Amino acid sequence: MAAAAPELERRPGQTLRASSVSRSFAGVEALRAVSLELRRGEVLGLIGPNGAGKSTLVNLLSGFDRPTHGQVLLDGRDVTRWRASRRGRSGLARTFQHSHAFRGLSVRENVEVSALGVGAAPNEASRRADELLGLLGLAGYADAPASALAHGDERRLGVARALATRPRYVLLDEPAAGLPEAEVPAFASVVRSVRDDHGAGVLLIDHNMTLIMEVCDRIQVLDQGETLAEGTPDEIRSNLDVAAAYLGESAVVEEDA
Amino acid sequence: MTVRRLPELLGPAALVLATALLGLAVSVSLQNYFLDTLVKVSIVVALYVFIGNSGVLSFGHIAFVALGVWTAGVLTVPESQKNAIMPGLAHFLLHTNVGNVASLALAAGVGMLFALIVGLPLMRLSGLAAGIATFAVLEIVNNLLRYWQAIGPGLNAFSSVPQTTGIWQAAIGAFICIAVAYAYQRSRFGRQLRAAREDPAAAAAAGISIYGQRLLAFALSGGLAGLAGGIYVHLLPIEVDNVYLDLTFLTLAMLVVGGAGSLLGAVVGALAVSGLDSFLSAAENGVDVFGWHFDLPTGTSVIVVGTLMAVVLILRPSGLSGGRELSLPRRRPRVPDLPKVRAPT
Repeated sequence: MAAAAPELERRPGQTLRASSVSRSFAGVEALRAVSLELRRGEVLGLIGPNGAGKSTLVNLLSGFDRPTHGQVLLDGRDVTRWRASRRGRSGLARTFQHSHAFRGLSVRENVEVSALGVGAAPNEASRRADELLGLLGLAGYADAPASALAHGDERRLGVARALATRPRYVLLDEPAAGLPEAEVPAFASVVRSVRDDHGAGVLLIDHNMTLIMEVCDRIQVLDQGETLAEGTPDEIRSNLDVAAAYLGESAVVEEDA
Repeated sequence: MTVRRLPELLGPAALVLATALLGLAVSVSLQNYFLDTLVKVSIVVALYVFIGNSGVLSFGHIAFVALGVWTAGVLTVPESQKNAIMPGLAHFLLHTNVGNVASLALAAGVGMLFALIVGLPLMRLSGLAAGIATFAVLEIVNNLLRYWQAIGPGLNAFSSVPQTTGIWQAAIGAFICIAVAYAYQRSRFGRQLRAAREDPAAAAAAGISIYGQRLLAFALSGGLAGLAGGIYVHLLPIEVDNVYLDLTFLTLAMLVVGGAGSLLGAVVGALAVSGLDSFLSAAENGVDVFGWHFDLPTGTSVIVVGTLMAVVLILRPSGLSGGRELSLPRRRPRVPDLPKVRAPT
C-alpha cells in the first residue's frame, strides 16, 4: 500500500490481468509472454490480424483454456487453475466468436438462464432479460427460439447473455460481426453503457475499426502471438507498425468471412 | 405465461389418470397390465429427469429401482417369514419392519442417496464415458443384490411382501414422479441443466456448474427410481433379474420412442411401448383379441420393441413427442408489426 506504488497495485481488486501468458499448441506458440490488463470502467480494444492470438487470449482469461506459462489474475486472485464456470460466477463474462446460443431455448430463456447461472432469483432473471433484450434491440424476438435468430442477432444475444450475469469484466469476441454499419453507433452506446452505468471493464475484440476507434479507451495490438503496440486510439492510429500489420490490410474489410 | 404452461403438467397427468381409470374398468387379469404400465411410467419419468434434462445417457438407473425394491421389500416382509425367505439376513434387518408408505419413502431415500454417492465421481464424465460408467453401476448393484444375502433374498423372489400396490397406489406414484419432474424442469436448476445440455461452453461461461447441476438431477432421478422400485415390489414378487438388463432396455426404449426431450414424451413412450409390449408378451403365450387368435414365438416382444426403437432413432430421433411439451396456443402478439425473425423462404 505504499503511496509510490503504481495505481494498479494499489487497487489489486479492480483488474483482470494476464501476466506474461504463453500458450503452445503442439509446439506452435499461439501466444508468447503476453500481458494484458483490463481495468474496471474502461473499454480495452484487442485488435490484430487473424491468427494473432486474440481468441486464444480470451480463452485463457475466461478459463476455457490454460496457459502453458504465466498467470491469470482476477481482482488480484490467481485464477489460472479455476474452471470457466467458477470464473463466470466470480464476475467474468464472455461472448463467443462462433454461435453458442442455447438453441432449443427461447431468446428470453437464453438470457434468463445466464442470470440464474450466477445465482439470480427467477424473478430477477426475468427482469434482467426484459431489460437487456430491450437494450440490445431483441425485445421483438423474446419468445422466438434462439435457433431462429439471424447471425448478427445471435451475437447480440450472446452480449445480452454475458451482461445478464452482471459481470465486472466482460470479454466480447467480435460482437459486431454481421452488424449493419448503420447500427454500429447504437451498439457502441451499449458498450459505453456497460462501462459507465455498470462500471464493468470491457475487452472488445472486433475487426470493425469504426467501432474500435469510437468506443475504446485503450487499444492493445497483437500480432503473431506478441503484443505489437498499446495505447490510446489516437496513438494506435498513428503507429505505423500497426498500420503495416493490421490496418493497412484490414481497415477496409468490415469482417472476416 | 404460467397458465400457458399448465398443460405441460396436466397433459401427462391426465394420461396417467386415463390409464388408471381404464385399469379399474377392465377385468382383474387385464388389470395387471395396467398396474405394470403405471409402474413403468414412474420408472421412465425418473429416467427422464436425468437423461432428458442433461442429455447424458444412463444405463444404470435400474440399479436405483432395484435398490428401491430391496429397501421396501426387506422392510415389509412380515417378521415371521423373514427367516424363511431371507435366511442370511443381517440381524438388525430381521427385526426392522415399517409400513407401506414409510417403505416407499425409504426406497426413494435410498435410491437418492445411492445415486448421489455414485454420482459424485461419475458426473464428471460426459458422453459415452458417462453412459458406460453408469452401466458399471448397474452391474455392481446387481451382483451385490444377487449374492449378498445379508441385505435381501439373493436369488429368491420377494414373496410375502404385502401387495399394497393397486391401481391408485401405482397411479399416485406416477403422479408424484410427474409432478417432481415438472417442478424440477421449470426450476432454476432444471433450466440451467437444460441450457448446459444445449451448449456446455456457453453454460460454463454463464457460471453454470455442469457437474453440480448434473449431480442434482442424477440424485433426484435416483430418488424417483427408488420410489418406483418400492411401488413395484408391493405389486409383484420381484426377483433380481426382474430389475436388470431387460428392464433397462425396455425403459430406455420407452424413453427413446416417446422422446427423451420432454416429460410428455417420457409418459407417452411408457404408455405406448407398455401397451405394445404387454400385448406381444401375452401373444407369446397365445391370446384371443376380438375373435382373432394370436400365438407368437417367444422373444417376439423384445424383437419388435427393439426394432421400433431403432426405427424411431432413424426416422424421428426426437421421438413421438418431438421433444415438445403440451402448451396452449400463443396469444396474438401485442405488437402487430412484430418483425419477422427470418424471412420466409
